[in-house]
Amino acid sequence: MKKYMSVMLVMLLLLLSACSNKTAGDEGKIGDSKNPSGSITVWGWDVAAATMKAAVEKFQKQYPDVEVKVEDFNSADLYDKLTVGLAARGSGLPDVVLMEDERIPGYLHQFPQGFLNLNKLGYEKYKDSFNLAKVAAVQNEDGDFIAAPWDIGPAGVFYRVDYFEKANVDPNSIQTWDDYIEAGKKIKEATGAKLLPIDIPNYDGVFQMMMQSQGLSYFDNDDKIALESKEAIRSMEVIKKLHDEDLILNNKGWDGIVTATVNGSVATVPYGVWYAGTIMDQAPDLKGKWDAFYLPSFDGGTRYANVGGSSVLIPSSSKNQSAAYAFVEFFTTDTESQLLGFEKYGLFPSLKETYSAPQFTENNEYFNNSPIFKKFADIVDQVPQINVNGNFAKASSLISNAQAAILLENKAVDTGLNEAKKQLENERKK
Amino acid sequence: MVASKKISSKIIIYILLIAGVVLSIAPFYWMIVGSTLPSGEIFRVPPKLLPGDYLAKNFQTLNESLGIARIFWNSLFIALVYTLFSTLISAMAGYAFAKFKFKGKNVFFFIILCTLMIPSQVTLIPLFEMMVTFNWLNTYQAIILPTLASPFAIYLMRQNMKAIPDSIMEASRIDGAGELKIFFTVILPVTRPAMAAVGIFLFMSQWNSLLWPLITLNSKEMFTLPVALSSLIGMARIDYGQLMLGTTLSTIPIMIFFLLLQKHFISGILGGSVKE
Repeated sequence: MKKYMSVMLVMLLLLLSACSNKTAGDEGKIGDSKNPSGSITVWGWDVAAATMKAAVEKFQKQYPDVEVKVEDFNSADLYDKLTVGLAARGSGLPDVVLMEDERIPGYLHQFPQGFLNLNKLGYEKYKDSFNLAKVAAVQNEDGDFIAAPWDIGPAGVFYRVDYFEKANVDPNSIQTWDDYIEAGKKIKEATGAKLLPIDIPNYDGVFQMMMQSQGLSYFDNDDKIALESKEAIRSMEVIKKLHDEDLILNNKGWDGIVTATVNGSVATVPYGVWYAGTIMDQAPDLKGKWDAFYLPSFDGGTRYANVGGSSVLIPSSSKNQSAAYAFVEFFTTDTESQLLGFEKYGLFPSLKETYSAPQFTENNEYFNNSPIFKKFADIVDQVPQINVNGNFAKASSLISNAQAAILLENKAVDTGLNEAKKQLENERKK
Repeated sequence: MVASKKISSKIIIYILLIAGVVLSIAPFYWMIVGSTLPSGEIFRVPPKLLPGDYLAKNFQTLNESLGIARIFWNSLFIALVYTLFSTLISAMAGYAFAKFKFKGKNVFFFIILCTLMIPSQVTLIPLFEMMVTFNWLNTYQAIILPTLASPFAIYLMRQNMKAIPDSIMEASRIDGAGELKIFFTVILPVTRPAMAAVGIFLFMSQWNSLLWPLITLNSKEMFTLPVALSSLIGMARIDYGQLMLGTTLSTIPIMIFFLLLQKHFISGILGGSVKE
């Protein structure tokens, strides 16, 4: 019997070693910074990955010796893989990775050596090609580029043209949040639709937009927690008022927002410009019935903010940094590649020179024949620069909790925000 | 009087049962209907309850974005090979723990049971580093091998094997059968229900497994179904029709596997629980 066992074990081992050979040794040679060559792997998600794949073709005309492999995951999955790889000291990571801007400080905080400083590779010279708020989002504390800026999401309020007409509300008359609430009441009376969807216990995006239009994240520019500032209090008060007037549709998650958009149960959706693509995709029947205006302001302040956006980074474990940098540089600064992602997938570029292209300035049939993308491009430079740090995600979930307590459990606005601030302080001490 | 009482209580029971059936079938029905509708239609109010005519189109887009045949093959191959070997290993281990006396038997068994209590997140990163060192990223064996010895399956097999009387083995030994022959020709046939239960359990856990394949697989050609379906969930755009169809397709093999083995399933689970 022992003989059988040892024979079986040997066979198993042979089988395993035979299997493992095929992936070994595909690293190949790499070039230098002037003539990058070899192969690199890039991680992205859905439409962004599709844009990357399309951009590779043109990239290879310029760098014929570099082979680029784009791998496509959903973003949450990509972060899981990235975190595991970074925790395993950089094993199994790609040469270039896409990341949402609000995630960047968190990763830098957790893995300070995880990504290459792009200034050292010469990215500094593109500093003026992008808007200030975006540049601030992708630089580290010393003002060096850690990520190369890619897409952004200037915010606005998408609205149903037919509902506004039926209620006899002129969208141009909405200047402040008070105007917005008054308009909401009229629209609800005329059409029965609520004003906007908010997943009250899980989503604080509206609060975030309000804060950014006033120049703040959850923190001020001196890195102090800004949850008890007058800006935070009046933002939350507006949200509470919206809820008191029964103008908020409390729908769960992303699917909830899409559902409300398609089935007409809300009259407006305040969101980033990329939501235009979702509306066109999911509600082709509502052609001509959507348009957008800028965010309402507080007392005539700015009406601009940004939701979402992503950038590309090079993990320090990359074995072919020259080729990785060549791709990053090309992908973020080549006008044609930006327009390609914009036209086909609605990804709004941060490279400013693209905005003069006809795709941006022309009228859009779906959106009530208005030049909707020009509207958004016009405000990019005016989006206030805010302080996003490693505790951003934590702060966001604390504010969602506070929002639920204030709206659904009738907690006072100042107590709710005060408690969130205290919890955030404890979190920062860790 | 008594009869009518019986009937009325029966009616109530049936109403409750029907409600239960509707509650458990409705999501599946909705998923199947969803797979025949274009994405936007799924959110219509009132919802469409009858299948639409978009099935072929959904299949086409699903196939374009995933290459469904390859993904299906990956999942099926991994789950079947895993189930086969893992069932065999757990049967062998269970047999050894149940029927043989050797040094450190209880200590070994205790250690195996202890591994049940270690959350898989803890071993994730070390295991991943091992895979990188072996150069096994993006391969089938990276998914199949690390969990091949399942402590739960070993435990279940041991409990079932304990119920087999020693005299069967003794009789075979007297007849001159070798230990391996006894195992394959005498022991395995008797424990078929337990093997079926373990097989279903292992097949389902491997078929539905997401995190580990996600971490170790990189290229689309190697994705398993859950990983591929998860990649369909975009940042801002989700084609729900395509997603529903993919989910529907992924439930079919499990249903077939379960239907084939279900009559063994319950008896296998209960097998070790009663001492006669």
